Amino acid sequence: MSAPAMVFGVYALTVAAAVPFAVVLRGDIEAHLGRSLVAHTVADGVSYDWWQEFLTQASGIGSTFTPAIVGFASTLDHLSGVLDAQGEAVPIAGLVAVYLVTWTFVSGGILDRYARRRATGAYGFFGAAGACFWRLLRLGLVAALVYALLFAYVHRWLLDDAYDRLTRDLTAERLVFAWRVALYALFGALLVAVNVVFDYAKIRLVVEDRRSALGALRAALAFVTRHTDRVLALYAANALLFVLLIAGWAAAAPGAGRAGWTMWVAFAGAQLYVLARLVVKLQFMASQTALFQASLAHAGYTAAPPPAWPESPAAEAIR
Amino acid sequence: MSSDYRMRFMPRTVRRPAAVTRAASGISRAALLSLVLLWCLIDVAAQQQGVQQFDQAETGARSPRNANYEIDVALDHAARRLSGRETIRWRNISANAATDLQFHLYWNAWRDAESTWLRERRLAGAYRPPRPDAWASMDVARLRVRGGATARDGDPGVAESDWIDLTAQMRFIAPDDGNAADRSVMATRLPFAVAPNEEVEIEVEWTAKVPRPFARTGYVGDYYFIAHWFPKLGVLEDAGWNTHQFHAATEFYADYGVYDVRITVPQGFVVGASGRQTERTDDDAGQTRYRFRGDDIHDFAWTASPRFVEARQTFRHATLPAVEMRLLLQPEHAGQAQRHFDAAAAALRYYGEWFGPYPYDHLTIVDPAFQSGSGGMEYPTLFTAGTRWIAPSRVSQPERVTIHEAGHQFWYGVVGTNEFEHAWMDEGINSYVEARVSSEARVPSYLAARFFGGFIPWVFPDIPLTRLHDEGRFGYREQAESDVPATDTYRYWPGTHVAISYGKTALWMHTLERHLGWPVLQRILSTYFDRWKFRHPRPADFFAVVNEVAGGDLGWFLDEAYRSSNVFDYGVQSFTSTRVRLTPGDGGQPDPAAEGYRTVVVVQRLGEAMFPVEVVTTFRDGQRASERWDGRDRRVIYTYERPSEALSVEVDPERVLVLDVRTTNNSATLAPRAGDASLKWTLTWLVWLQELLLTYAFFV
Repeated sequence: MSAPAMVFGVYALTVAAAVPFAVVLRGDIEAHLGRSLVAHTVADGVSYDWWQEFLTQASGIGSTFTPAIVGFASTLDHLSGVLDAQGEAVPIAGLVAVYLVTWTFVSGGILDRYARRRATGAYGFFGAAGACFWRLLRLGLVAALVYALLFAYVHRWLLDDAYDRLTRDLTAERLVFAWRVALYALFGALLVAVNVVFDYAKIRLVVEDRRSALGALRAALAFVTRHTDRVLALYAANALLFVLLIAGWAAAAPGAGRAGWTMWVAFAGAQLYVLARLVVKLQFMASQTALFQASLAHAGYTAAPPPAWPESPAAEAIR
Repeated sequence: MSSDYRMRFMPRTVRRPAAVTRAASGISRAALLSLVLLWCLIDVAAQQQGVQQFDQAETGARSPRNANYEIDVALDHAARRLSGRETIRWRNISANAATDLQFHLYWNAWRDAESTWLRERRLAGAYRPPRPDAWASMDVARLRVRGGATARDGDPGVAESDWIDLTAQMRFIAPDDGNAADRSVMATRLPFAVAPNEEVEIEVEWTAKVPRPFARTGYVGDYYFIAHWFPKLGVLEDAGWNTHQFHAATEFYADYGVYDVRITVPQGFVVGASGRQTERTDDDAGQTRYRFRGDDIHDFAWTASPRFVEARQTFRHATLPAVEMRLLLQPEHAGQAQRHFDAAAAALRYYGEWFGPYPYDHLTIVDPAFQSGSGGMEYPTLFTAGTRWIAPSRVSQPERVTIHEAGHQFWYGVVGTNEFEHAWMDEGINSYVEARVSSEARVPSYLAARFFGGFIPWVFPDIPLTRLHDEGRFGYREQAESDVPATDTYRYWPGTHVAISYGKTALWMHTLERHLGWPVLQRILSTYFDRWKFRHPRPADFFAVVNEVAGGDLGWFLDEAYRSSNVFDYGVQSFTSTRVRLTPGDGGQPDPAAEGYRTVVVVQRLGEAMFPVEVVTTFRDGQRASERWDGRDRRVIYTYERPSEALSVEVDPERVLVLDVRTTNNSATLAPRAGDASLKWTLTWLVWLQELLLTYAFFV
């Protein structure tokens, strides 16, 4: 929270990524309702019959407009989707890809800002983001490959093959569920392990001004291996923060609601939740950066000088 | 085969009720007069003539009892095998002599991947090949037959040596698709003809490999659900044998009889079965033999598990007979016993009050083991329900499935329709009634989604589910044109059966309810139930009752709903209300001050199917203009000149035509709120999308 501009920046990024798709969906819904009286019911509550009718003819973004968007079901839907390795609709998958690349770009600026522990300004932020982008992108491609292998093979092996073998003769659902939870935990642990290593690889790329993504990855692995306890403790503390936030949202998430001012209140509440999720995400990055610096160098250490915005050739021409 | 041989093994004629034998006797003068009178009544009689000429109930029984099974079966738990022996006393109740026998060997449908069942299953989508140990088989080791009815008449004249072994003559046939690899129907020629009303005894010995679950049958762990498990005769109709192969989407058809079944299982296994338990003996070899007897039923299923938690309650009602309900629950669902009992009692009550009493004094409810795939299936006097470890009280599971399967005791168990050909007659009618009972019994029903492998439910308290949802409106709407309901069900495109047999039928029944009124539809169903109980009605028999009780020909509706795949879709094409000088009436002078609004409504038939609908226009001053449109033309224009501006128009505002596939277009308003509605839901979706992005942000 020491960098509110950055928090609002990544929030703006999240809003900006989502809004164009929302505009498209709104057009679809509005066109489908037309001048129908059903819109009154849909505005004041839920018409499940209409919803089903809409879904019958929907495709692309529209096909994601399911009851799972309402309230806390949305959170469960996403977390469950990741743990069960469910895919996304093509347009949504495209948006996610663009969003992740954009995050990769801003990550350089964010990590640089946290590493320097002082405001870097827009020039400094984007300068660092630009300077680190290609190396972070290379690292991101390696990460994408590793995650893809995890989901395509390890997930299938654990939560399809092994799960089937372990549970196929069980007649009690709670036992089957216990196995699933255990396998989720195992897969989750692998995800976290990979995630931690790549997190510190990003930090080493930025803080140590490394050029080699693979070198940073190797260095991160060494760092995590040498400081496993502290790394995991920090990760657990941050994860606990995330869990507490999710629990709070489970209690506070609004239902379908009505059109009008209450709708805006509910939306504002939801945006606060989104903002809080981003804060937790940034908290992960900031605390891991601090841990790395404290372990290998000192607080505020960065190898690269403060990035300076290059003079424009056009400006030189004026002179 | 010599003539002497034929004489010796000629089947014996069984005594029939007096009325039947008189009709078959020689024609006397009095009989001639009777025949004339009979001729006058022939039309009524024809309407009530079933698929078998002699399908009247046996004296003292509810049904013809023409297919009676004595079965002795043993379960080898370690080897997952059954070995059985059955004696079938079968009486030919068709109009013609039988020269062959046909049997269902249902489990052979899962013998290999080339059976018709598996071939069709592959076409239906979401197909996962069975594991190597999942396959089943059913092998008949011996088949023999003898004429006469020793067991029936106590006639000692027929000896053991009278049995004729037909094992060598057994062959597999594929009457539906000619699939030579399918072994689900076995046939054999008889060494003699079995004349109408004559009886034979058939003895079959067989072994079977129990599958991992297919079609609600098989084992998981130490739980067994054993259905369609014995060599079973087809139905000999007047038109010949009706013995379909086992198809992926369709179910069963059989004659009524008495089932006397001995089941041997390892000690410690609790057994539930069709009929009522009459014996239970433990032997020194660690086996327990159960004996069950079911009268006037047309199938027999059983289940065995050492883990069942057993509970019993008695259904009592002021005007209906008491029924002992036996519930076999999974231990983890022990807390849900009352939900099962309440739902079953609701079914017994409403079905009983509306159509006729449940005719048996016992009912077994089986809560299937998780992963057994045996939930939600009906068998005579026994059915499987289905629930989850976490079953929120606001979600109608296990209630709806319990009501549905208990309801099948009436529409399937008592009224014995041919599920191969006309699945809608039990599934569709029953789905309609089940939804109505759930509504009457106020079963809480909210939408729920399941996450994390389907284990964690999340209930949406904002989204209550209605009868229309229970009737499968969503599924129907997606596949409305996929098949014509009048097509034999086994010929449906695999995967469309549920939408058409269940959904469309329930919806057109509901439409009839709203069109004719519930009292009329209730009389239709109760008349049909009473007329066809323990018999095999055809669609025409049901429709005859519909027309008879409704007092008119409803063929115009059935042509659309049943005999075609046309969809109903009425909508508002345009709707305007503009300020004008009102036109004076006849002989009147124009009044310059008489200004008002001309409202023009254009309603449209977008689907091919037709149904009369009401068109109601509402005006700002609260007045309403109601028009009755026969629904035949593509468009109709209504024009109103009134002092008040119109507010809205609705086609079929009472939603009589619940088959209408799109109801959003049924109305229009001059004060639309699509903008408000779309904004509200877009904001909700926007948050969902933001959360999705944040979830994926974990990876960067």
